[in-house]
Amino acid sequence: MSESLFGMPPANVDADIAEGRVALTVDTSLHSLDAIYAAAYAFIGRCYVLLERPAPERVRVVLAPKPSGADGDALRALIGEFANELLSATWRREITRSNRALIEAVTMQAFAGALGSPSLDDLEAFQFGDEPFEDPLGIAQSWEEKYRKKPRTPEEPTE
Amino acid sequence: MKLPVSDSRSYAAFFRFRELGEHVVVTSLEGEWVVLRRDEFSAFANGKVEPGSDLDVRLQARNLVREHFDVRRAAETMARRRRFVHGGPNLHLVVVTLRCNETCVYCHASRADLDAVHTDMTPEIADATVDMILRTTSPHVTIEFQGGEPLVAFPIVERIVERAVEKNRSAGKQLEFTMVSNLALMDEDKLRWLLGHRVQICTSIDGAKSLHDKQRVLPMASSWDTATKWIARINAAYAEAGLDPTLYHVEALLTTTRETLSRWREVVDTYVELGCRALFLRPVDPFGFAEKTRRVVEYPRAEYLAFYRHALDYIIEKNRAGVEILERYAAIFLTKILTGDDPNFLDIRSPGGAGIGQLAYNFDGKVFSSDEGRMLAAAGDPTFLLGDVRSSSYREIVGHPTIRAMAIASNLDGQPDCIDCTYVPYCGTQPEHNHKTLGTMMGRMRESSMCAVHKGIQDILFEKLATADNETLEILRRWTTIRPREHFLQP
Repeated sequence: MSESLFGMPPANVDADIAEGRVALTVDTSLHSLDAIYAAAYAFIGRCYVLLERPAPERVRVVLAPKPSGADGDALRALIGEFANELLSATWRREITRSNRALIEAVTMQAFAGALGSPSLDDLEAFQFGDEPFEDPLGIAQSWEEKYRKKPRTPEEPTE
Repeated sequence: MKLPVSDSRSYAAFFRFRELGEHVVVTSLEGEWVVLRRDEFSAFANGKVEPGSDLDVRLQARNLVREHFDVRRAAETMARRRRFVHGGPNLHLVVVTLRCNETCVYCHASRADLDAVHTDMTPEIADATVDMILRTTSPHVTIEFQGGEPLVAFPIVERIVERAVEKNRSAGKQLEFTMVSNLALMDEDKLRWLLGHRVQICTSIDGAKSLHDKQRVLPMASSWDTATKWIARINAAYAEAGLDPTLYHVEALLTTTRETLSRWREVVDTYVELGCRALFLRPVDPFGFAEKTRRVVEYPRAEYLAFYRHALDYIIEKNRAGVEILERYAAIFLTKILTGDDPNFLDIRSPGGAGIGQLAYNFDGKVFSSDEGRMLAAAGDPTFLLGDVRSSSYREIVGHPTIRAMAIASNLDGQPDCIDCTYVPYCGTQPEHNHKTLGTMMGRMRESSMCAVHKGIQDILFEKLATADNETLEILRRWTTIRPREHFLQP
């Protein structure tokens, strides 16, 4: 049975206290799927987390605490914490995008400082036969490889 | 470099601000700061500052005026504040055993009973630990022995020190050793060996005898009596060796529990009487104790900050009376605020020190991001486990994906709230604390008890900087002076 929780807008938050679950319906024009995934993932240690698509531009996040028996107050605290984490994830994503160059520069310097140069042992352990790294932009390809005219495959339609 | 001024509101260069009573603290991008009256702040923010006025001169001196903004100076200051990022791990905590002869109310995950000999580090693991430590890129290496109680496994301490000194002849690090001990198992032979090998000795003091004995239970004896007896003996030994007692003496660590909060005066007096020159008013951390214990020892952070304010005022009062003792949190933040340097305190820097500034080595060979990461693992959460000294390479440990995530999570340039916070140039967060208390390494600063403490302490310090008399300001400046203890460096 769907119930509202004190202080939570019923249009966004609904709970089934008897079943021990609570849900938040998220507007995806406010929060990206990446932010929803990030916030939801932070709760998988404590809850079973289910994502649903009840309507276009809406994602419904259902949290069911793993130890059953959560009462209304516990469900309210849980969904409130999720809402805060979601806002934090959304804003962090924006900040990280804005400050990406600075964050990358500091992180790279920190790791360059801590890792140092590879030793001969490290190089010896390197698996040169490993699969090549992912290169979706073709940065590691030569100009000829990247831009040469590709032969048409027989099933390709012609105009 | 001059930037164009388009209207009166373009007077100010980039700034952050925070209201503190009758004052407003203003910090620049690179951490320059000024405390303004409200009318001065209004003039500053609205571009109504009279050219050439006293306020204009003060703001220019702090690089807060757009027209005179010195880009090179700002860049150099920012680089200086983050000089530590080039360094690599310099602090290496070694848990030589989990066995401990004391039972403390706030410590569970870090100890085992004295018959748990299987929690002693083996000689093979000790050797591999030393070899791993000396692979660090940092030219400065501090090996800190912890436990459990390190004196319970003293032969392992000896082995690590001797091997590290020998191996360091080729590694060439600036090497020092510190041991954190309750001192109850100290004897003259051990002391002679520790002094002879220049191992700095620290202990824990929770306050006066009644509180200390209540929180740190030593069977059949008073933990206070044994600790204080040895503090006096060690200090005397330093003096006998001709070392300056103002620099060379036993320092102690306080764990602030609920019961400590009302006893701030007693705590300060105790530390002064014991000859300590520093008091670190650390709040109890959330690692390694049970929920039942948490209710006994934990407290709201507002109560902690009231305790901190009382204790700090009393420490300053003591200094005004001629006693030289500093508060460690204040010294860390004031060094950043007043000197523009960073003392590289690993839990209050951005990015944090986990993995890239420190590593913790458990008795069983497991390597963790920090002692807090190790304690979480002891409580069943291995999130911060990085590898094993016997099977992992140094680069695998330091380049571990968890360390990469922690470096990004603790970079305040990507942290909501922090990027707008006036105190961001001086602050730091700890991913292990966020993970434990808020469920993610990034945390949410508005709900973080660590943020509340850091922000609250900086509020108190800026209040002092805004309103204190010259004598108090001189005391606070003196706390930022670091006198190196060169005797403890290995020759």
